[in-house]
Amino acid sequence: MLRSLFLFDMTFWLYLAAFSLYVAYVFVRKPAMQLAAAGHPGSYTTEGDTGLATQIGQVATIITVFGWMMNTAALFTRAFERMQHSGTFAPWSNQFEAMSYVSWAIILGYVLLEFRYRIKTIGAFVVGIGFIAMGAASLLPYRYQTAEPLVPALNSYWIYIHVSVTLTSYAAFAMAGGLGLMYLVRERAERQGQQSRLLAVLPDLETIDELGYKAIMVGFPMLAFGIILGAMWANYAWGGYWSWDPKETWSLIVWLIYGAYIHARMTRGWEGRRAAIYAVFGFLMVIFCFWGVNFLLSGLHAYA
Amino acid sequence: MNGKSEALNGRTAPKPGIGWNEIKAELIEFFASIKLAMFLFLIIAVMATIGTVIQQNERADVYIKEYGEEAYRWFLRLGWTDIYHTWYFTSLLALLCINSLTCFYQRFPAIWRSMHQDKVSVTLPFIKNLKHTTELSVAGTKEGVSKGIVQYLAERGYMVLAKNEPGEATLYATKGIMGRVGAHMAHLSATVIVTGGLIGSLWGFQEFGVCLEGQTYHIPKGSFDLRIDKFWIDYYENGAVKSYNSTLTVLEKGQEKMNKTITVNDPLVYKGIWFYQSSYGDAWDQVDVARVNVKDKATDKILQTVDLQWKKEATLDKLGLTVTLTDFVADFGFNSAEKKVYSKSVEHENPAIKLAMAERTRKSALEATPWIFYHYPDLFDIPGSQYRFELVGYQPRKFTGLQITKDPGVNIVWTGSTMIVVGIALSSFIYHRRLWFKVVPGKPGESTVTVHLGGSTHKNQIDFNKEFRKLTEKIKTINA
Repeated sequence: MLRSLFLFDMTFWLYLAAFSLYVAYVFVRKPAMQLAAAGHPGSYTTEGDTGLATQIGQVATIITVFGWMMNTAALFTRAFERMQHSGTFAPWSNQFEAMSYVSWAIILGYVLLEFRYRIKTIGAFVVGIGFIAMGAASLLPYRYQTAEPLVPALNSYWIYIHVSVTLTSYAAFAMAGGLGLMYLVRERAERQGQQSRLLAVLPDLETIDELGYKAIMVGFPMLAFGIILGAMWANYAWGGYWSWDPKETWSLIVWLIYGAYIHARMTRGWEGRRAAIYAVFGFLMVIFCFWGVNFLLSGLHAYA
Repeated sequence: MNGKSEALNGRTAPKPGIGWNEIKAELIEFFASIKLAMFLFLIIAVMATIGTVIQQNERADVYIKEYGEEAYRWFLRLGWTDIYHTWYFTSLLALLCINSLTCFYQRFPAIWRSMHQDKVSVTLPFIKNLKHTTELSVAGTKEGVSKGIVQYLAERGYMVLAKNEPGEATLYATKGIMGRVGAHMAHLSATVIVTGGLIGSLWGFQEFGVCLEGQTYHIPKGSFDLRIDKFWIDYYENGAVKSYNSTLTVLEKGQEKMNKTITVNDPLVYKGIWFYQSSYGDAWDQVDVARVNVKDKATDKILQTVDLQWKKEATLDKLGLTVTLTDFVADFGFNSAEKKVYSKSVEHENPAIKLAMAERTRKSALEATPWIFYHYPDLFDIPGSQYRFELVGYQPRKFTGLQITKDPGVNIVWTGSTMIVVGIALSSFIYHRRLWFKVVPGKPGESTVTVHLGGSTHKNQIDFNKEFRKLTEKIKTINA
């Protein structure tokens, strides 16, 4: 178990480095002013970078990818350790592992996003959340970080599908939350007038808004699937597919909140600022569902 | 949705007036509205939150201890102790179903029509008015360029319709209608799920059975018997519980019909009734073994320690005793009216065993049936006996806790669940977009044509932007 704990530790430091580099990137960027003035989309992708910014941007990406690979190795090692210790191998069998898995998914999602859209300034926000998630996991007391064998209720193949799908949806909502925050930062820069440097450095609001919406459009079906899988598991384990226990209910609450978001997007006036605030709020609810329910509320589902 | 999309959808605004048609139109408009859906989602979320903060279905004293009596009375009035089964919560769910069904009724026909409609007859101003629109000069002939465009789009999965007129060729391409269908599938499925849940709660049952190894229990609702052949617990190396298991046999009229070992996550199903390994515990009216100290009454010295098996006579020759463990209660209580001992609760608060003893020594000859208390060793005195008995420990009989349920609606819920996941996935990952082209030949003698193209998308502007730009680039070099 020490091996995986070491790798998780390394992952934390790499994510810290990556996050710092992306923040540095935002501050160092000076996109060619003629590109920015024309509102050319290249101004917020890497097209607009020169010199130091390019280098920092490249190192940031490399460190992020390396950190993700370290995270993958840590999860695999933990899975292997579990298999030897107790015969199951899901590396998301307790709060610590689940948090690490969510970080892994957030960073993977970010890397895919960056490769597709080449907007590195998003890293400052989304890699930031991935880093914080890994940090929070590391701050858990040692007894939460160990790989204890599963209690009978969790000892089932369902843990491989229900938990992984639901946690991945949390990662998608985390990305949307980060993008929502980015939107609000950019919007504030816009209100401060043309003097703000961030105006040229960060993408236009419509792009940030759309990407946040896309993230939620990935998370929402996954959460629906995750909830259904949980209901199927409950039907096999506890004799009923729905018992309104706090965790089940909270995942439904989160689902309803994002369901309302999706419908709101089709109503005039709900794009943009309101959507961004909503995405941040939704993410806070996800945090409560993931973390708060385990520690603050009691019930069948309190598996920290 | 913006105004243009609404017009393309084919919905019309309700006309003013007070006839039944107008009222019906207004009602449909209200019940199908997105704002209603948003409101319902959020208010159901709030109600659900209340049920997680205030513990549900607890005993009165728990609420009074935590919130006080006044608050508890309010909880009862508002139904907050069982909020998920209140009339208003159920009504909100029903309203959500009505909302989604009305939306389907109002909007799906138009989608269905547009899947089969000829949308090629559009005017040039229409194309110019689209959000994405551009005009290109392309080398080639009207026929050649049109063919090139059709081929390119068909390769990329578009459904293309073409109309070739002497003056111009008009093309219509569409892709991703399943994204719109998916949303409607999701809407329908909400009702399917709620219906399944309703059927389950009306015609299903859930019971909990405390069962002992070796016993056979009659299941009235299924008219068969269930025999508990074995119950045991497996442990990890570190002592934590790994699994608990019961071997069950189903008997019908004395015939063995089915045999299965169940454990948590692996139930037994017979005749639609499910038996789950839910829990286990210590029985409150039986023990397997009781450890008893036989003490000398005069000197209070322990003469012998004996492990008594349940209802098995033990002979202690040196002491001239025969002792049998005949009864046990976990929480001693005495019903003076019926003169019966019973266990007040299932908790082992005040355990006691009953012994049937016969003493034959040089100094004494007697028989007695005393109760020996675990927490009160000196309580009972057997007059005339040389000995005093002390209960120092026992191994309780374990019962297996079985959850017995039947849910006739569960398969409907799974059908609805599959529909909702597929529907949401389609709606999230596939977006409906449409392209229109007009290829106008150049003046006689010119070797170029003018291509007017425009497009619109239901959602996902950012990806459609890229796609439109790519299309534009590609068309510039489409060879005749």
